[in-house]
Amino acid sequence: MTAPVDDRRADRANGPRWSWRRLSIVLHRDIGYLAVALTIAYGISGIAVNHIADWNPNYKISKRFTTIAPIALDSAPAMVDLAVARLALTEPPRSSYQPDPQTLQLFYGEQVYHVDLPSGKVMVESTVPRRVLHELNQLHLNEPKRVWTYVADLYALSLILLAVTGLFVLKGKYGITGRGGWLTAAGALLPLGFWLFYLR
Amino acid sequence: MCPSITTTMNLVRTAALTLALVALTASTAIAQSKDYGKALTLKDATPISSILKDPAAWDGKRVLVEGLIIEVCEERGCWIRIASDKAFESLRFKVDDGVMTFPQEAKGKTVLAEGVVKVKSLTREQAVAQAREVAKERGTLASFDPAKVKGPVTDVQLSGEGARVK
Repeated sequence: MTAPVDDRRADRANGPRWSWRRLSIVLHRDIGYLAVALTIAYGISGIAVNHIADWNPNYKISKRFTTIAPIALDSAPAMVDLAVARLALTEPPRSSYQPDPQTLQLFYGEQVYHVDLPSGKVMVESTVPRRVLHELNQLHLNEPKRVWTYVADLYALSLILLAVTGLFVLKGKYGITGRGGWLTAAGALLPLGFWLFYLR
Repeated sequence: MCPSITTTMNLVRTAALTLALVALTASTAIAQSKDYGKALTLKDATPISSILKDPAAWDGKRVLVEGLIIEVCEERGCWIRIASDKAFESLRFKVDDGVMTFPQEAKGKTVLAEGVVKVKSLTREQAVAQAREVAKERGTLASFDPAKVKGPVTDVQLSGEGARVK
């Protein structure tokens, strides 16, 4: 049964000025609020990058094919101009490259045109960032480096504090000396079991 | 509420504000920077064609190269292929996973890249294994044909330490 509000206030007034348990509750509550956004961000990114073998969590990469009239081998600028005209592109490419004498690549930001000069076959490769998810992955994998490294360190320390203080939020049969203790042990056994049976 | 708890709460609030400010500063830094990894230490760029002409002479040497980025690792952004100053040649600039992550948007831009030249003799089996790994990172593993891989080959790449994408 929950104690009446006045009783709880009286308990606080009669209790010690501070206790480790009370400090744990306050830290757990306030650090918990602070960590909400990053925990959700890192959680979503974690699921995404766990499956990197099956899909690209950062970019949507697509390829489409088209055909233009064959382009005779000539100087690189002339071939680029001709390819741009035949593809009906409105701007010149950012840059171009020939990996071999028969192939011309045109770089346009998120799109790269691979032109097979003798046949006129063109592969248009489009690489578009997955908005939001790409940014979450950048933060999660610490791509910015520099200051973000220390922000991420602080966040990791916050998670440790949340875990430790969380052990002492409740007391009694649901606390660490009761059901909480068994659940904590089960949570520790899970990674230990995987390590023993799959990684050792 | 007792003073010590109140002090703790104030500290936590101050930390929250500081954290937000630091994050804002960091995001500004991210937007302005196009440098990757360690700062460049060399001033003069070595032509890629010189390295590829006589790889053994450059093995283990630290060099700075400059060229067009023609390919970026699709899976993790952990390598880029840089066009040589000589036609139809290129050099792979490889970094350890997570040390630097090159965005796909870097394709078609010019890079100054510093690292150590690594030369390896690969048997045909090793060449096939490496080509398979590259195909996986390119997302073309489904169409990978081991029969098309030549070998034995001499593999030349730059073990990347720092880069500046212009």
